[in-house]
Amino acid sequence: MGLREYIIRRLILLIPVALGVIVLIFALLQVVPPTRRVFVFLSGNPRELNPEVLKSYIHMYGLDQPVWVQFAVWLNQLLHGNLGFSEITGPVLENLLRRAPATIEIVIYSAPLIILIGIWAGVNAAVKRDKPFDHVSRVLSVLGTSMPSFFFGIALSAIFIATLKWTGTGRLSPNLDSHLTTLRGLGQWHDYTNMVTIDALLNGRLDYFIDGLKHLVLPVTVLVFINTATLVRVARSSMLEALSKTYIIAARAKGLSQKEVVYKHARRNALIPVVTLAGLIVGGMMTGLVITETVFQFPGLGSWAAYAAQRFDVPVVAAYALFSAIVFVLANLIVDILYAYIDPRIRLG
Amino acid sequence: MKFKVPERLQPTIREIKFILRRIKDTPLSLFGIAIVMFFVVIAAFAPLLAPPVPGLNPYLIPSDPALGFRVEPSPPSPKHPFGTTLLQRDIYYGCIWGTRWAFQVALEVIIPIVAIGVVLGLIAGYYGGVIDEILMRFTDIILAFPGLILAMCLVTVLTQANWTTIDSVLLSIVLIGWPGYTRLIRGETLRVRNEDYIEAARASGASDLRIMFRHILPNTIYSIIIVASLDFGGIVLTTAALSFLGLGAPTGWADWGRLIYDGMSFVSGGLRWWWSWVYPGVFISLFVLGWSLLGDALRDVLDPLYRRK
Amino acid sequence: MEKAVSDEIIRVEDLYLNFYTYEGVVKALDGVSLDIKRGEILGVVGETGCGKSVTSLSILKIVVPPGKIEGGRIKFNVKGKTYNILEFNEPTMSRVRGRYISMVFQEPRAALNPVYSVGDQIGEVFYLHRKEEIIKAVIEQLKREIETAKGFRKRVSRLYLSLYEGMLKNPKSLRVRLASKVPIVRRFRNLMKKEVRKRTVELLRTLRIPDPERVVDMYPHELSGGMAQRCVIAMALVANPILLIADEPTTNLDVTVQAQILVLIRELQKKFGSTILYITHDLGVVAELCDRVAVMYAGNVVEIADVMTLFKEPLHPYTQGLLESIPRPGKPFTSIPGVVPSLINPPPGCRFNERCKYAMDICWKQKPPLVEADKEHYVACHLYSGGK
Repeated sequence: MGLREYIIRRLILLIPVALGVIVLIFALLQVVPPTRRVFVFLSGNPRELNPEVLKSYIHMYGLDQPVWVQFAVWLNQLLHGNLGFSEITGPVLENLLRRAPATIEIVIYSAPLIILIGIWAGVNAAVKRDKPFDHVSRVLSVLGTSMPSFFFGIALSAIFIATLKWTGTGRLSPNLDSHLTTLRGLGQWHDYTNMVTIDALLNGRLDYFIDGLKHLVLPVTVLVFINTATLVRVARSSMLEALSKTYIIAARAKGLSQKEVVYKHARRNALIPVVTLAGLIVGGMMTGLVITETVFQFPGLGSWAAYAAQRFDVPVVAAYALFSAIVFVLANLIVDILYAYIDPRIRLG
Repeated sequence: MKFKVPERLQPTIREIKFILRRIKDTPLSLFGIAIVMFFVVIAAFAPLLAPPVPGLNPYLIPSDPALGFRVEPSPPSPKHPFGTTLLQRDIYYGCIWGTRWAFQVALEVIIPIVAIGVVLGLIAGYYGGVIDEILMRFTDIILAFPGLILAMCLVTVLTQANWTTIDSVLLSIVLIGWPGYTRLIRGETLRVRNEDYIEAARASGASDLRIMFRHILPNTIYSIIIVASLDFGGIVLTTAALSFLGLGAPTGWADWGRLIYDGMSFVSGGLRWWWSWVYPGVFISLFVLGWSLLGDALRDVLDPLYRRK
Repeated sequence: MEKAVSDEIIRVEDLYLNFYTYEGVVKALDGVSLDIKRGEILGVVGETGCGKSVTSLSILKIVVPPGKIEGGRIKFNVKGKTYNILEFNEPTMSRVRGRYISMVFQEPRAALNPVYSVGDQIGEVFYLHRKEEIIKAVIEQLKREIETAKGFRKRVSRLYLSLYEGMLKNPKSLRVRLASKVPIVRRFRNLMKKEVRKRTVELLRTLRIPDPERVVDMYPHELSGGMAQRCVIAMALVANPILLIADEPTTNLDVTVQAQILVLIRELQKKFGSTILYITHDLGVVAELCDRVAVMYAGNVVEIADVMTLFKEPLHPYTQGLLESIPRPGKPFTSIPGVVPSLINPPPGCRFNERCKYAMDICWKQKPPLVEADKEHYVACHLYSGGK
């Protein structure tokens, strides 16, 4: 089939899914009565509007019209960047963009750790099967999949934040955070990426870098622990399967040492399904982020969505769901392409 | 007391014996079974272990008037073995009845999910073609949302439409869960569909329905059992997460996640009020652990059998 | 079998091997003894499960757990000295495998790693066992290049030359290792790669693979069974081994392809002078290809003889039964009654006793030793060992 055809095929299959995702969100929104649903279109605070104006908005956005008209209107608004106004946090799109860097920062630190540790642990557990390393990593991965992330997070929070006072909630210590406004005013701090650790390095402030890092340690630990668990199990079983293949014995019969066989031959084959899973895990991290950010009061997208959900704030939750789905679908696409590229059986048809 | 086992069941009996023996050989699986049994016993004997207040819904945790309606939790004492949480609600009671609640929720969710999955999966796998494609697109769409988030969305939306939180949680989890089983059973159906005995059955005039339910379905049972036992824990984890976010059981309900939600307010005290969140957390972890181990054990045992078939 | 003949390459003596499984201990090899003479093609025949594959894996010491060798010796005569393979440590075995003894497997596409091209996999053996030769060839090439080149090219070639000479003297030297990692400098290795590729193509051509320049870059799944098997054979012959073990190499191939491969093997044997241990369950192949044959049953060698003798005068009842069950027109179908015994609980004495029509009392009490019943014709049967 060839790589190009494969990619085109995947892209084509993507379209109905993307469409379906949008339709699903729309369908969910339809369940909400129009008086509240109209918030998805507003650009100002609904509380400040009197009921008559609200009614006119309802009419303007066609919420009293048949379903397909509503869909067209909504889609149109969406494409113009109008995600609505949340009663609690303000303009949705603006908030999304404002809070995204915090989440991205967590992901930048977590994702590579998850992938590297997961693969390393899984491969080694398979190679040292039934030895102490294997048992320990299996126990840890079972714990990681059973223990609720919020429990782990709360435990860490109670120990390291409340008791040892080693770090705090949020992204920066309160004093450094308030000092930041002053720095900005003085022109001594520029927000290049809005990510604390990176900006700190770019602005040459080591103290902010370390403080930001300290605040990232606990959330990242929770995310890494929980997500690595699944990856380790899959990596291990994939490696075990690769090690049982005939070409492994054939490779040894050629004179390769056990170590060379494991790392040159088995691992590459084992990693093929693992890489795809790793991509999916990272793409699906949005779920873990909701809980982890809430526990550590990290001002990112996850806590924003959680806060909104608690108060039944429809526009925000819908926006977050749409965003997560898009991220996940993109991650799937990238992973599929990667898979086809690595495995010559697919690449060359 | 000896009774004759009918000839037809002999191979099944042998297989069950083999399964039991294999389970006995792995200590980890025994551990898992022990944990699950432990929870089953607790759930079954909840009214005895933590007698409910007459007239009150047993799932509502009673407060202790003797301690007043103070917000701060009280430490464990003989009257309150696990201590109390917000508004002096007894944590021990919450954990015990929380066990029963966990089983109730899990069953109320798993049964519809498996049923839908079986029907749709068989149809998709057996008939293939357009029906299959359409169903697969549907599952793709739902699976495009990372689990919890769609559930959050659904709960938010349904409560706006005046559903109770509990009902919306149950429905949400069913709605995010059915695609998984549909795909699983579809996969199994595809695998089995081309086997010779299906051809034979068709050649001897069996109807489609009969083939699906009498021939294909029994071969998928093992996979269903394995995934379902793993999911038993997973569903409880998801409901706990939703409760933790405030989207699950209402305040005062005997739900482990809700108890942790209540206990969250006291985390700032560090380990001072540890009992308010440690006990429910341990219960959740053990519950999920037990079912995970059981599911894994079943997979180790049933899989080779499975491939032998 | 006490004579220590100097033209023997391998002598397996009383090899015992067990598999420790869930269901019990499988006594797969029960005192296997055979010898392989220099330059011959020795066939090993037997049904599935008789232990022929496992014996060959033992010779290479690549038995996978839960299998474990529990006793015996495998004598290996090379360069005038005799060694016991079972006493070799792993690093030594790595030098033996592929270089002195190599193996061809049953399912060719399974024996090749799907994510590497066949050229890469054959080339791997060059790097493992003929690296010095390659480096020397590259050095010669560089020396010639330096004489004719000018300016920049000359300087680069000189640099490369020094790196290669360094590799020859001390492959683990820091200088060489560093150079192999630095991005542009590490291109010096390309000369080596080209040389290896050249030789790989030559080898493929020797194996009568059409269009070897193209095949060398192909992946295993792109090749037909026959082509893949030729590549596997090429891989086994790179270092010109003394002994080539072929474990049912043609079983999974079409009959026509099978014939081609057999012809090829005969040719290669003459050309390279290798000794071949050919494992198969197909008596027809044995008749066509082998010089001598060893018959195995349920973990024992029951008869060894040269091909003509075995087919004309089989001594062991099992061999007789095997030959008789070959279908021939006009002859009614016969087969050996009974089934192969369980190797977890084998019967006492001779393992063939349940199915043997000549079974005597002693066959249930004592295992028959392998004795020389006639010149160079060995049998393990109480009919010939005089109840000693």
